[in-house]
Amino acid sequence: MAGNIKRVFRLYGLYAKMDWLLLSRDMRTGLLYIFSDWISAVASVMGIALLAVRFEGIGELSADEVLWMLGFFTMADGFTMMMMGNCNNLWISRVVGRGQVDHMLIQPVPLWMQLLTGGFLPFTGSSGFLTGVALTVIATVRLGLVMTPGWLLLLLTYMLARVAVATGVAYLAGTAAFYRPVSCEELSTVALDALNAAGKYPLAALPVWAQGLFLTALPVGLMAYLPSLLLLGRIDAPAAYVWPVAAGAAFLSLAGWLFRKGLKHYARYGCPRYKAMGFRN
Amino acid sequence: MKAFFATARLCVRNSSEFGLMNTLGEYLIKLIALAAQWMVWRAVLPEGAVVDGMTRRGMLIYVTVSSALAPLLDVRTPASGWLHDGTLLGLFQRPRGVFGQLAAHTAGGWLIPLGLYGLPLLLLSALLGFAPVPASGWFFPSLLLCVCQGFAVDYLFACLQMAIRNADWAMYVLRGALTALLTGALIPFAALPWGIGRWLDLSPLGTLAGAPLALLAGIGDPARLIGAQVFWNITLWPLALWAFRASRERMVSYGG
Repeated sequence: MAGNIKRVFRLYGLYAKMDWLLLSRDMRTGLLYIFSDWISAVASVMGIALLAVRFEGIGELSADEVLWMLGFFTMADGFTMMMMGNCNNLWISRVVGRGQVDHMLIQPVPLWMQLLTGGFLPFTGSSGFLTGVALTVIATVRLGLVMTPGWLLLLLTYMLARVAVATGVAYLAGTAAFYRPVSCEELSTVALDALNAAGKYPLAALPVWAQGLFLTALPVGLMAYLPSLLLLGRIDAPAAYVWPVAAGAAFLSLAGWLFRKGLKHYARYGCPRYKAMGFRN
Repeated sequence: MKAFFATARLCVRNSSEFGLMNTLGEYLIKLIALAAQWMVWRAVLPEGAVVDGMTRRGMLIYVTVSSALAPLLDVRTPASGWLHDGTLLGLFQRPRGVFGQLAAHTAGGWLIPLGLYGLPLLLLSALLGFAPVPASGWFFPSLLLCVCQGFAVDYLFACLQMAIRNADWAMYVLRGALTALLTGALIPFAALPWGIGRWLDLSPLGTLAGAPLALLAGIGDPARLIGAQVFWNITLWPLALWAFRASRERMVSYGG
């Protein structure tokens, strides 16, 4: 166990070094990518922020609370990208659908460890996270929120839960690529895009049944809405505080179980698209 | 024109590279995004409220038509992607103009999204009582000018990609970020705070989706908006042709 933990951190260090080398070898291109990610992160939430300013809030949330929610969304999404964004580790259907799992199976490192660490991009992939931190800090100051250690711990927990939900959904969709490599190659992308397309909107205007759906089976409300209501103290029910973590664990467990079943199928049939000269035909 | 339509027909068949499930998944994302927009407009605009001439109903029709006609309102030729993977170089070996080939590929690629998503969405909207009937007949010439201008803007983005040494992903991300807000496709300019919409609606990006959709909703002055579109078409097309000619020696592709 201790050996595994040590190895995980060594791998994080190696991926961080490789990311730094990528940036330092061609600083101009690296900075261009960072700049474009930064613009994209700001622009993706700017529309809703402008609407919140114009109409002095959306639903039950004030303009500053909407800004806080958007900050959390950007920070948590950026954190997901920073931890899982490299090597298509998050968009796992691409790896599976292109027959690249073979590349991972021949490495002298367990598959779970590669999937956990191989996506780490602390330099070129941190723009969204840093933008989100800045937005959240601005909104926190404007709202006059009191940050206690417990509150900060809850913020970190919900961010990790958000990573777990997004990763779980991406891997649930990605498992299909074991069985249909061509048509499901981009399914993780589709699932993640769907989460992000609706995940930054407040759900207050929806009927209760739709809110229930979006907080469970289609977890767009766990991307930012519910964690924000909880951290802003808008919900009193103690059970609600556990829900983002429970849902993250549930999605991750289900995805892990189905992914292992998919791997067994892969071990038997392989991927028909794999070619010795590369992949995809 | 025969070659143009033959190429377009080929592209209709090839437009779904990853199969039906992926295509339907993409449309599902668009529907989810549209549903989220409806949700927000219903939350911020009470029934009967009017924002700079737009009612809640007008706002919902605006965002629905924007989603249905997205391929026409934000023209994306394959130029940028093909520049990245080398396919663009092959176009120079064919006995047709490069712009013409790109336009044919693009037009062919419109049929599936408009047929499987855009048209059903407009029909569904009409059935739900939100008939997307333009408030002004000027919507149609404005849409035509928007498509024409969209091609010029797309070629200029391709030239910019050549200038920054084929940083395909950075350009894709930047363009997506800029066009979502600045073209008026996501939020009507009339609904933006601090009057910034009045500055954006005559800009080269703002006259893309913003102009026809404003005319559809009946909140724009046709002479002002179509005049701006004509101006940008006359300005941007020569610029795109010059920039493409000047940039093509700098093309770098990965190929393979």
